[in-house]
Amino acid sequence: MKIFEVLQALDRRYIYLVVALAIIVPLMIPYNSDVVTTPPTENLYQLIDSYAGRSDKAILVSFNHDAATMPELFPMEVAIIRHCFERKIKLFTVSFLAAGAPIIDYAINSVKEEYPDIQSGVHYCNFGYKIMPMITALGMGDNIATTIDTDAEGRKLATLPIMKDIVNYNEMNLIIETSGSTAGGVWITYARAKFGANVAVGVTAVMAADMYPYLQSGQLIGMLTGLKGAAEYEKLVDVFAAYRDDYFPTGRPFSKEILRDESVKKLINITTQTQAAFTPEEYNSITAKYPLQINELNKLKQDKDGQVVFDVSKISPDEQKALGDNLWNVLNKKTYNILYKFKTARIGMNAQSVAHIMIFVFILFGNIGYFISKAKEKKA
Amino acid sequence: MKKNIPLAIVMIGGLIWVLWVFIPHKILSEDFMYKFYIPWVYVQFPFGVILGVLSLIMMHKTKIQRKAPKWQYSFFALGGIAITCIAGFGWGNQNGSPMMWMFTNMQMPMSSTMFSLLAFYIASAAYKAFRARSPEATVLLLAAVVVMMAQVPFGLKISRHLPDISQWILDVPNNAAKRGIVFGLGLGGVATSLKILLGIERSYLGGGD
Repeated sequence: MKIFEVLQALDRRYIYLVVALAIIVPLMIPYNSDVVTTPPTENLYQLIDSYAGRSDKAILVSFNHDAATMPELFPMEVAIIRHCFERKIKLFTVSFLAAGAPIIDYAINSVKEEYPDIQSGVHYCNFGYKIMPMITALGMGDNIATTIDTDAEGRKLATLPIMKDIVNYNEMNLIIETSGSTAGGVWITYARAKFGANVAVGVTAVMAADMYPYLQSGQLIGMLTGLKGAAEYEKLVDVFAAYRDDYFPTGRPFSKEILRDESVKKLINITTQTQAAFTPEEYNSITAKYPLQINELNKLKQDKDGQVVFDVSKISPDEQKALGDNLWNVLNKKTYNILYKFKTARIGMNAQSVAHIMIFVFILFGNIGYFISKAKEKKA
Repeated sequence: MKKNIPLAIVMIGGLIWVLWVFIPHKILSEDFMYKFYIPWVYVQFPFGVILGVLSLIMMHKTKIQRKAPKWQYSFFALGGIAITCIAGFGWGNQNGSPMMWMFTNMQMPMSSTMFSLLAFYIASAAYKAFRARSPEATVLLLAAVVVMMAQVPFGLKISRHLPDISQWILDVPNNAAKRGIVFGLGLGGVATSLKILLGIERSYLGGGD
């Protein structure tokens, strides 16, 4: 029993040390774990995805936060932008906070590096920092190009190719606001109530409870809740939007059945993946497509359990050159290795898992100690 | 006069907005809004920024001159303003610019560090103060543990029903309480607005004549 008395009087610096270790170790050593997607995230994903490839639909992401809440909000912004770039969904961004404007640039540039065919003004447009959210929200209900006038790069909005078929909220029909405090207020009050735009939010976990009434009333069509919401969205993008095969060359539509399928596991591994495995049929179709590289492929391949396997980590730069960029990309894609920037929320969720368990243990020990000392007091 | 004119301005200004919300007429929704109000707001904003920056500089200048407690930190505040302005006006905020370098390498880690301190305080508070002292505290504690564990993948390993229970807590008791607060705030806001519009609440005019 003495142990609990000692623990009761534990110096808080030891608690801080345990917290630091509980967070740092899982961040340094990622392990594969699954996040279960929730309806608010799925609803948002499905609505965004329904705009795929359409010139007359667009989404607006409002970055309403500064750098302090970036660990929670930035991964969800990156995941949404990636979704748009993967599925060719027109994307607009804005910030009503001066400190939010650089975050837009940082998020777009981080994702854009992996999508060389995506162009500013064609596939996406950053409005940059704007003042007076209410005025802007109301004005865009009438005409986006006249309200915003110029984008962050100083270009006249009306002249940009992205504005073709986009006039007001009838086309830019979804607004997502990411915020570290109350989110979506202006959009719910003006864009939704007056013009019927769909509104969703991405908020820090501590703010989520405040947003539930709006979610239940239907004023919000979806919500990303803290790091978990971001991790869920990252998973959906990997499983559906970034998925490629012969049947779905530009990503596949959302399906609950697919999410329950065992095959999803290999798409969401957050540890480094180096093995590209092909069935004999798939391998034959590759050799037919790249006949000049057959010798190189045969030299690098291994046969494992009836499959043709390539370990991309063992392919030297010279061999990569011999394979050519296209074939190298085919092999790399088949490893299902996820770039670090596209899995930060899931790595963070591992740390959060350990931290939550640790806090639970703290609460438990604290209460056991409390009841023991109370019982002793009674006896005395 | 000193009282009546400000009261009339507030009353007329407020009533215009009430009419704007309830009467969707062209004069109000287009002429007033787009041709009068919006241009004036855009004019007013830069003056607000200038006022803010000047006020900040003057405050820190006075602090340094008077050698007020922790006056040395004011140099950092003024230096920060100057360097950020030079970087922003000089090179813009494109990727690779000094402004973006400062943002990604200074502001981002420093702000995130401040926010992450919350985790340490929560853990410490959970250990030192989160006790089942009463039935109400026990309910709060249990709800917190369920919602907290359901948030992470490990929660599913404890029970596959945990996320459903957590969702119920958020959807039913949490929403009931939140709605109560929101309704209270809304009604309070309407009552206060009406009192200001009708000239009953005059504390914003300042004390005395």
